[in-house]
Amino acid sequence: MATQLSVVVSAKLVCTAAAAAVAASAPSWNKGSRISGRKLVSMRTTAMARSGLVSLRPPRFRVFCVAKPETVGKVMQIVQKQLALGDDVKLAPESKFTELGADSLDTVEIVMALEEEFKITVEEDNAQSITTIQEAADLIDKLVVGDSPPPA
Amino acid sequence: MLASVSSLVQTNKRLDTDANIDPRSFEFKKNKFGKPEILWQSDESSMEWPLHFNISHTSSLIACGIAMDTPIGIDVEEKKRKTVKSILSLARRYFTPSEVDYLAKISDSDAQQKEFIKLWTLKEAYVKALGRGFSGAPFNRFSIQLETNSRIQISKAAKVCNDSASGCDYLSENWRFALAELNSSYYMSVCIEDNSRGFENDSVPLGLKVWKTIPFIEDTLVSGTDAVKLIT
Repeated sequence: MATQLSVVVSAKLVCTAAAAAVAASAPSWNKGSRISGRKLVSMRTTAMARSGLVSLRPPRFRVFCVAKPETVGKVMQIVQKQLALGDDVKLAPESKFTELGADSLDTVEIVMALEEEFKITVEEDNAQSITTIQEAADLIDKLVVGDSPPPA
Repeated sequence: MLASVSSLVQTNKRLDTDANIDPRSFEFKKNKFGKPEILWQSDESSMEWPLHFNISHTSSLIACGIAMDTPIGIDVEEKKRKTVKSILSLARRYFTPSEVDYLAKISDSDAQQKEFIKLWTLKEAYVKALGRGFSGAPFNRFSIQLETNSRIQISKAAKVCNDSASGCDYLSENWRFALAELNSSYYMSVCIEDNSRGFENDSVPLGLKVWKTIPFIEDTLVSGTDAVKLIT
C-alpha cells in the first residue's frame, strides 16, 4: 500500500495576503526598546539619605539595557546588504526579517554576517529567537559583553 | 496565519478516501515548539488516520504538503537562488563535514550551487518534519547523502553528536525523502516518517501527488507532467 502524500502548490501572487500571514511571527518582547540606546539607572533616594543619614529602605533600581545605537545601525546595514534592499526601504529597529522578505536561507546568512562582523558565535536556539533588527542587536551586545563584568 | 493555512489545506480534498470530512471543520493549533498542526479529534470516526501538513514559501510560490498518518516537512527554494556568502563558507558554518566534502568536490560553481540548494531544502524539510524547530535539529548534527540514482539517506553526524552536551537524542533516521524540480525553476523537498517497519524501503512507493492550485478556484494535477520532475 503506497503512502498517501499530497503537495499543493500555489502562485504567491494570488496569495500575497496568505503569504504575509504564513510568515512566522514571534512575539516581540522589546516594547521597552524604543528608548534609545542609553543605559539608564535610577535610584530612589529618601530625604533622610540626602541629608546624610542612611536610609533603612533598600534602594530600588530600574535598569534599562538595550543595544547601542551603533549596533542597531550596523545590523541594519548588514540586513540591507543581505536582502538587497534599496535606499527607499525604511528600516526600523522593530522591522521583522520576514516582513523585509527574508527566508530561512537569508536569515542564516544574516546571522553569519553578524558573527563575522562582531566576532561572536550565535547558537541555534539564539538564532531562532531573533526575528527583528532590535532583537539581533540586543543579542549581539549581550554576547559581545558576555565575558566582561558590567560597568560599575 | 491560521486562516491562510486553513484555506490551503481546505482546498485540498485530494485524499484517496471515501471519508466524508468537511475541511471547514478543521481547527489548528501549534505544537510546543511552534509548529502549526491540525487539531485532530480522537473521535473523528469518519477518518482513520490524522492529517498532517506543512507549509513552505519562496518569493513567488507557496507549497503545502499534506500526509495521512505521518508527520511531514516540506521546503521549496528557487533553483538558481544566489547566496551572498560563498557556498562553501555557508556549508562549513552550517553543514556537516561530509556534506562540505560532497560540495567541495563539485568543480562547476553552478552545479555546486544547485547541489547546495538541494541539500538545503532536504535538511529544512527534515527539521520541519521533526517539528522541534531549528534548534531541535541543528543542521550540523545530521548528514544527508545525495548519491545519484539511489535513495536519499539521512544519518546522524557521529562526532558532532558525541561532542555535544545534549547529544542527538531527538534526531531519528527513519525518514524518507522526495526531491523534485518544479517548473524547472524550484527544488522541492518533502520528508515523511518511514513507517515501512523493516520492509525493503525502495519497494514501497511514496505515492506523491502534486497539485497546482488557485485556492477555491481551480486545482490541476501536475505530478506526472513535465512541471514536476522527480529527482529521487
